[in-house]
Parts: sequence; structure tokens; C-alpha cells
Amino acid sequence: MAVEFKDYYKILGVPRNASPEEIKKAFRKLARQYHPDVAKDKKGAEEKFKEINEAYEVLGDPQNRSKYDNLGADGERAAAFQGAQGRGRRSWGAPGEEGVEFHFDGTGFSDFFEQFFGRGSRFDSANEFVRPGAGSAEEASFAHRGSDFESDILVTLEEALAGSERTISLQRVDRRTGQTKTQTLKVRIPPGVHEGQPIRVAGMGEDGIGGGAAGDLYLRVRFAAHPEFSVRGSDLYYGLDLAPWEAVLGTRVIVPTLKNQVSVRIPAGTNQGRQLRIRGRGLPIGRTGRYGDLYAVIHIELPQKVTEEERKLWEKLIQISDFNPRTT
Amino acid sequence: MNALQIFEPGPQTVYTIEVAAQLAEVPRRLIVIYYKHGLVSPVTDPGRSGWYFDDEAIRTVRRIEYLRSACGLNLAGVKLVMALMDEVERLRAELRFHHRT
Repeated sequence: MAVEFKDYYKILGVPRNASPEEIKKAFRKLARQYHPDVAKDKKGAEEKFKEINEAYEVLGDPQNRSKYDNLGADGERAAAFQGAQGRGRRSWGAPGEEGVEFHFDGTGFSDFFEQFFGRGSRFDSANEFVRPGAGSAEEASFAHRGSDFESDILVTLEEALAGSERTISLQRVDRRTGQTKTQTLKVRIPPGVHEGQPIRVAGMGEDGIGGGAAGDLYLRVRFAAHPEFSVRGSDLYYGLDLAPWEAVLGTRVIVPTLKNQVSVRIPAGTNQGRQLRIRGRGLPIGRTGRYGDLYAVIHIELPQKVTEEERKLWEKLIQISDFNPRTT
Repeated sequence: MNALQIFEPGPQTVYTIEVAAQLAEVPRRLIVIYYKHGLVSPVTDPGRSGWYFDDEAIRTVRRIEYLRSACGLNLAGVKLVMALMDEVERLRAELRFHHRT
């Protein structure tokens, strides 16, 4: 299996010294373009969307980014690093996706506990774990259930809302013959799934030993980063930009929701960072039938250029207003 | 070899405690013990509608067994590890959220 080093900076189209803001902007622009719901070429878009998400997952998080930067563009070093971490790894992804992922497992997520419960350690435990009364595990004279595999499945917020059907392909090595075979499965994502929720695919884990049953495959739901919303539990957060006068005087704006949009009243004197709560427009809360909320987080944007006339008006404000935020 | 299988697992799927015990390869009474220690929960209230477990619970029980057998932890150790894992996951999610918003 060829190890493919992914240049995340190239994928997002940003320079290596890009600021977090630039990275976020680049991601949003691309995510809007390649979002599975709006893209015209669905098949190609799905691949690209995954790639963009993975890149943002790594570059959008300071810790991940510095780990990635330290690896450098040296593909061989990356492969060696990946090899050390990833013995016994499988690769998951949409059909046609090749290669073993950079150690963030294809969705860009690094599961902190994977190193303990992950395939690496399972590989070891399969050799060391001995049931009482049995001989060496190597001989496998007893039936032993195969290990479980865990992997992430990238799910859009829209899919989490409405549910969906996904096609994934697994590459598995037959224990006895050493042959690699590819299986394609359709997996149903029911509506209301939450981040991190495992979906159990029975019997798709590691083959059993000595006639034992195969382990299971657990697909952990990971929400794809959304260009407009960030997620916290069942709540959605939307960054709402306002002009200074809108924040001072109040106004009405249209805020997008996952499915639609909603008209929101901005009270006069709304400060930067204030969160306006729009009830029931978040993600479904499990199977309760209830929904989380959508929060519009106020961000006041300043005009970067002002005309002479505007400048004069602002300067007039200085004269006539007695507002002073710095009162000591 | 390419075989297309349609697979519809449901996180809506629930199992009785007998089936759950089979899937997790532990005796029933162990699941009850784990429940009493707050390590795993059925999706329903056992007092009212009986014991029904979902896929997440099966995975939890398997993890507990792994911690006990491969890691040699006693129940107190398992409780500590599970609590730490939950907290770490919670913090990581919070951090991701703050980097995004």
C-alpha cells in the first residue's frame, strides 16, 4: 500500500505561514463549494470534501498543526512516522480512495485513546492475551473472538439531521491466506446521531481464531466541519457579523439555519460576543424528538476604509457623544 | 473480491441483557455489576421497562473487559480510567469548539 503524504496547505490553498483566520476563511470557501448537498459533481465532491475536512482538522487546530509542521514535507519521514504508529492499520474511505492516511486516520481526527485501545495495541494484545488454562496464543488451539476495529466516519451536519445512507469500503487481510480483499458496505446513518457515537457493523472486525467469531467494526461518527456552523453537543453556533451602527441601533437580520433561515431581531446596544439564542434550530437531541438551539454569536465588523464624508460624521460623534468605554 | 452488502445497523437497535451479554462475552451478572457501578447504562430504566442496551453499551462493556484483562485493572481502576476518558473527550471537544468559533 503506497503511503501518500497529503499536503494540507496545498489542499486548502494557503501558504505555510497562513494565520488561523486565513485558514478558516480558506476552509469555509472550499467547504461551501464542495459540500455534498450543493456540489454538482457529487462523486468527486465527496472525495474533495473529505480531503478539505481532513486538512482543516489538522491545520485548524494549533496542536495538530504544529505536529504536522514538524513532520515536514519529507514524505519518507512521514511514512516512517506513520508506519511506526500504524502497524496493523487498515484504510477506510470512500471507494477508490487509496492509501493509508497520515496518522490522523483519514478524517483528520486523532483519537487520543486509540493508541491504547487502537489497532496497534489490539495487535499486541492478540498475541499477549492468554485465557486461563490455554497454551500459547500463537498456537490458537482455542476459539478466540477476533478484535474489534474502530474507525471514524465523516458525517455532515445535514446528514446528522436527516439521516443518510453511506457507502464505505474496507480492506481486510484474510488471516489465513494473507490475501487482501475489499468489501463494500452500505451503512445507514440514522437521524439524530451525535458526535462520537459508535455505529456497530457486526462481524466486520478482525477474523476470529480457531473458529471463533469475527470481531465487530465500530464506526465513530465525526461531524464534518461546516462552513457556517460550529457544533457543541446538540447546539449550533453561527458567527453573525454586524456593522457598528447595526449593533448600536439594533436591526433585523436573516440568519441561516441547517435547513432554512430565520429572521432575527438584534436589540439596540448589542455588544461584541453576545450570543442570541434561537430555540430549537440546533441538532436533534438523540431520540428524544427535541432539538438543540442555534446561537448567533455577534461579531462587530468595522469598515476598513471610510470616505471623507463618513470620516467627518464619525468625528462629529466624538464631539457630541459622551460615551467613554475606558473609565478609570 | 468486491461484495456489496447492505448493512443497516441501527443505533436504534437495542438488545436484551441476554443478547448483550453474549455479544460482549460476559456473564449477565457482570453487566448488572457494571451498571451498579455507573459504568454502563441501559437505554431504558431497568426498574420500569427492563434491560435494553445499545451498541454503545456493548462497546463500553468490551472496553471494560479489555481494561480488566489486558490492562489488569480492578473495578476501581476501570472506573477511574473511564471517568478520565470521558473528561478528556469532553475537554477535547470543547477545545475543538473554541478553535472553530
